[in-house]
Amino acid sequence: MTMTPAARAVEVWKVYGTGEAQVQALRGVSAEFERGKYTAIMGPSGSGKSTLMHCLAGLDTVNAGTVYIGETQVTGLGDAGLTKLRREKVGFIFQQFNLLPTLTAAENITLPLAIAGRQPDKAWYDTVILTVGLGDRLHHRPSELSGGQQQRVACARALVSRPEVIFADEPTGNLDSRSGTDVLNFLRDSVRQHGQTIVMVTHDPNAASYADRVVFLADGEIVDEILSPTADSVLDRMKKLDRNA
Amino acid sequence: MIKASLRGLLQRKLRLALAVIAIVLSVGFLSGSMVLSDTLNARFAGLFATINENVAVQVQPTKESDNGERVLLSAAELEKMSKVDGVDKASGEVSGQGVVPFQSDTGDEVTTQTTIAAGTDGRDPLGLVELREGDWPHSADEVAISANTAKLAKVKRGEQLKIFVPQLGEPKNYRVSGIVGYSGGRDSLAGEALILFELGHAQEMFYGKRDVFANASFSAKDGVTHEELKKRIEAQLPAGFKALTGEEVTEQQSNVLGDQFSVFQIILTAFAIIAAFVGIFLIYNTFNIIVAQRSRELALLRAMGAGWGQVVGSVMLEALIVGGVGATLGLALGAGVGALVERMLTSGIGLGIESAGIVLSPWAVLWSYAMGILVTVIAAFVPAIKASSVPPVAAMREVVRPDKSLVGLTITGSCFLVPGLALVALPLLASVPQSTLILAAGLGLVFIGVMLLSPMLAKPVVRLLGYLVGWGQAGKLGVRNSLRNPRRTAVTAISLMIGVTLISAAATVTESFKTSLENDIGRYDVAIIVLGPNTAPPDGRTGYNPTAMDKVSQLPGVTDVASWHITLNGALGGQPYPGLAATDVAVAQRMWKMETIEGRLGKLSPNEFVIDDNLAKDRGWKVGEKVKVRIEAVERDYTLVGIYKATPTVSGPLLAEAAVDDFAGGLAYQGFVSVSQGTDVAATVASVDKIMSDYPGVTVGDMSAFLKQFNQIFDFLLRAITFLLGVALIIALLGILNTLLLSIVERTRELGLVRAIGLSRGAVVRMVGVESILIAVFGCLLGLVVGVGSGAALSQALIEADFMTTIVLPWTNLIAYVVTAILFGVFAAVVPALRAAFLNVLDAIAYE
Repeated sequence: MTMTPAARAVEVWKVYGTGEAQVQALRGVSAEFERGKYTAIMGPSGSGKSTLMHCLAGLDTVNAGTVYIGETQVTGLGDAGLTKLRREKVGFIFQQFNLLPTLTAAENITLPLAIAGRQPDKAWYDTVILTVGLGDRLHHRPSELSGGQQQRVACARALVSRPEVIFADEPTGNLDSRSGTDVLNFLRDSVRQHGQTIVMVTHDPNAASYADRVVFLADGEIVDEILSPTADSVLDRMKKLDRNA
Repeated sequence: MIKASLRGLLQRKLRLALAVIAIVLSVGFLSGSMVLSDTLNARFAGLFATINENVAVQVQPTKESDNGERVLLSAAELEKMSKVDGVDKASGEVSGQGVVPFQSDTGDEVTTQTTIAAGTDGRDPLGLVELREGDWPHSADEVAISANTAKLAKVKRGEQLKIFVPQLGEPKNYRVSGIVGYSGGRDSLAGEALILFELGHAQEMFYGKRDVFANASFSAKDGVTHEELKKRIEAQLPAGFKALTGEEVTEQQSNVLGDQFSVFQIILTAFAIIAAFVGIFLIYNTFNIIVAQRSRELALLRAMGAGWGQVVGSVMLEALIVGGVGATLGLALGAGVGALVERMLTSGIGLGIESAGIVLSPWAVLWSYAMGILVTVIAAFVPAIKASSVPPVAAMREVVRPDKSLVGLTITGSCFLVPGLALVALPLLASVPQSTLILAAGLGLVFIGVMLLSPMLAKPVVRLLGYLVGWGQAGKLGVRNSLRNPRRTAVTAISLMIGVTLISAAATVTESFKTSLENDIGRYDVAIIVLGPNTAPPDGRTGYNPTAMDKVSQLPGVTDVASWHITLNGALGGQPYPGLAATDVAVAQRMWKMETIEGRLGKLSPNEFVIDDNLAKDRGWKVGEKVKVRIEAVERDYTLVGIYKATPTVSGPLLAEAAVDDFAGGLAYQGFVSVSQGTDVAATVASVDKIMSDYPGVTVGDMSAFLKQFNQIFDFLLRAITFLLGVALIIALLGILNTLLLSIVERTRELGLVRAIGLSRGAVVRMVGVESILIAVFGCLLGLVVGVGSGAALSQALIEADFMTTIVLPWTNLIAYVVTAILFGVFAAVVPALRAAFLNVLDAIAYE
């Protein structure tokens, strides 16, 4: 059975600025992100890894090429189409947690469903809540939670609507190593146990080692990839990239 | 440090622009009203300078004497002063008020701002007017009139002109002996009418005897200054007179006219201050939010060694610049609008006086800057102190400022509210002296109390309102956002509350008054009302001859007639009492269903009078009391024979009809007519009107027509108040807009997030809109509660004083205010909502 990939980029070009100051952030990147897999995008800073993720998620426009989420062509969608896409097919996890301070943790988790006007699937909601492991802090405001707890809430928010793909942008960047490990385990479990697709941008080899596959970017092009990575193999590859650069 | 704050100012120019607009509007309002009156005064001064061109010195009575007696200058005294060394020519002046010419074709009164009536002996020594054709008046049947008068009355030389002189009581025909004009070929000075009677006739009519003058003017021989001549004449002054130079007279005359407009200016200034007060809240919020957003930057400055004072100074400097710029622009706006309104006013009332150009007095400039800068400095003070308290470590890490507790504010607010309510209740429940003052103080405290309590009230009220407007997730988010910072929501809402409080209080009092009057007047047996002219205060010389009422009583269906003589020039028990009335109390009792409380009403004998119960209580008078009553110059002892129940329509002292002999003239100022059932009221009104047509300014109407007129006046007043509060309301709207804009900048990242997880643009617009509407409606409701409460309390006080009978809430108006508040919310949200909706999602999420 051939399945369409959860997300796909075809010959994507992204250029910032003009003339002398022009930066080619993405230079004809093509990549596929399989369903039910956990993919990490790595690369030195300025390699275009965040840009690639923003283009895949429809947060940024591309200059050339096409992006698909599942069957949907993202490039060319208007604001209404993008809004629909974000409601139904995409989830986000940010480095800065980005929770609404006016809502409790539980309300933050169900916010995407509420925005879309959907009822949470009770069994799935309970599962998510259980995995988040917030317990009685579920009804606290974000300001009363630790950084790790806030990021777990953000993960649960992304999971609860069962999107086609979750994009995570440096999800452990603002966390201490223990909280970071918690979050990474949580993400890997949601892939292994619930078949969620996750695309994560990171520059931390240890974080990347939790993924099923690591894609390496340098100077706006995909230069390499590793399947079933370990922290060491990723670090090794990164060093090589740095040397080439 | 100064450089840093100046640079910051430029970067925030958009946000500060709204604060500047608030100052521009309120300063513009203030300076506009000052420029208006200064420009008007200059125009009048120009007019009077022309009139007094040849006057070196004028001798006038020191003042209208306390006992109402008129001090006159005898011919002998004038003669003596005209012999003073240095006097070139002397002119005694004789003039009368309330003289009205009629048009020759229609028989209607000539309508003009003023009619000057004077006496002349054929010479005009000071040469103000010149004879154009014909001759001066030589007998009691002749007049000379100005060319403008001839045009207005449509008469030519040699024709008959009907003229009403109050002292005669009836109009009389005069032959126009000649036409006069002013120097420079002008037909009039300012569109007025001028009638010149033969001197002796005028003296007899106006003063009751010959050879007396009201004042005298003198011109000076060459080489004698006005000041010098004034000194010399002062040595010869008869008692009760003073001498003024021509320049002083000009100033005096233009001040008198200017004073008529000063009431107008005081009202405008009051509304300008209200607008400025509202502006304080807008500016306070602006600086508060800016300081909050800059706390990291300020902390950095502190970490680099900036002192406490320097941080406060930098914020205050910003405020000063904002205030200065706002005041300058406001002054310019005010000068433009003031001059424009002045032109519209003067052309509107047909004043043909040349403009003296826009007058921008130093006072107007001073007050404008004082107001603009004071308002901003007051508003920025608390935020500046707050800015200085940012600890330097805040620069290094994300500062989480916990919500400050509202306990302190709530306690302080209650400390104002509770005593305020007590003070309001006191005069309503018990009779205390100075009740009006206590009531006003109470209402003021309540107002301040509610303002201080509003952050505490914001949460429950906004949450409740949220159920009504917070539909869908977007709506819910909007409700949450408005609850997020109750202080900010409350301060923004207060700016709207101030205006709404005043409007709804006025609406409540007006509505209650209108209904009371309508209910009250329906009870009486009066069908037709005759009213004297409103051109001069009544004293017996304006109105109609009471014999005309005898003719009215002959009309078919008329059952009762009454004439009321009213004078404002009187005193009761040694205190001036404007509004003494003399009439047949027996008829009044029948017509107005007056209720006897003590003693007796009915026909009064000379030197008897009755009063209402409030007045009796006020003065502590019992039946049988002897009271000194002064009318004009005559003071007599009157006996209080009865006390009646005051109603909104009838109150005050009523004197026996015989008192009319002491009035300045025999004309009645008000008349009332009762008719039998089934009488054609409209036809009777027409007949009465015809009988009264000889008396200038007298209007006749049936009760409902007068009631309608009365209601129209109230409606007009309410509209005028609403209109004048418009500027304050616009500033409040800008305040909401400002708060939303600044909040959106603060919440950029959140907006990016909700967009990223699927909130549509439309939903973002709704979210901001709901927040805006909630703030506006919250402010409106606070205002309605305080305003209607104050209005009801004031009405209750008026009911106690028998001015009103009932309290009615103006529901239509109140609903309209809420709807307007919703619209305000919608308007204020447009720009911020679109800004929020069109934020770039990616940039927004990355926003620091």
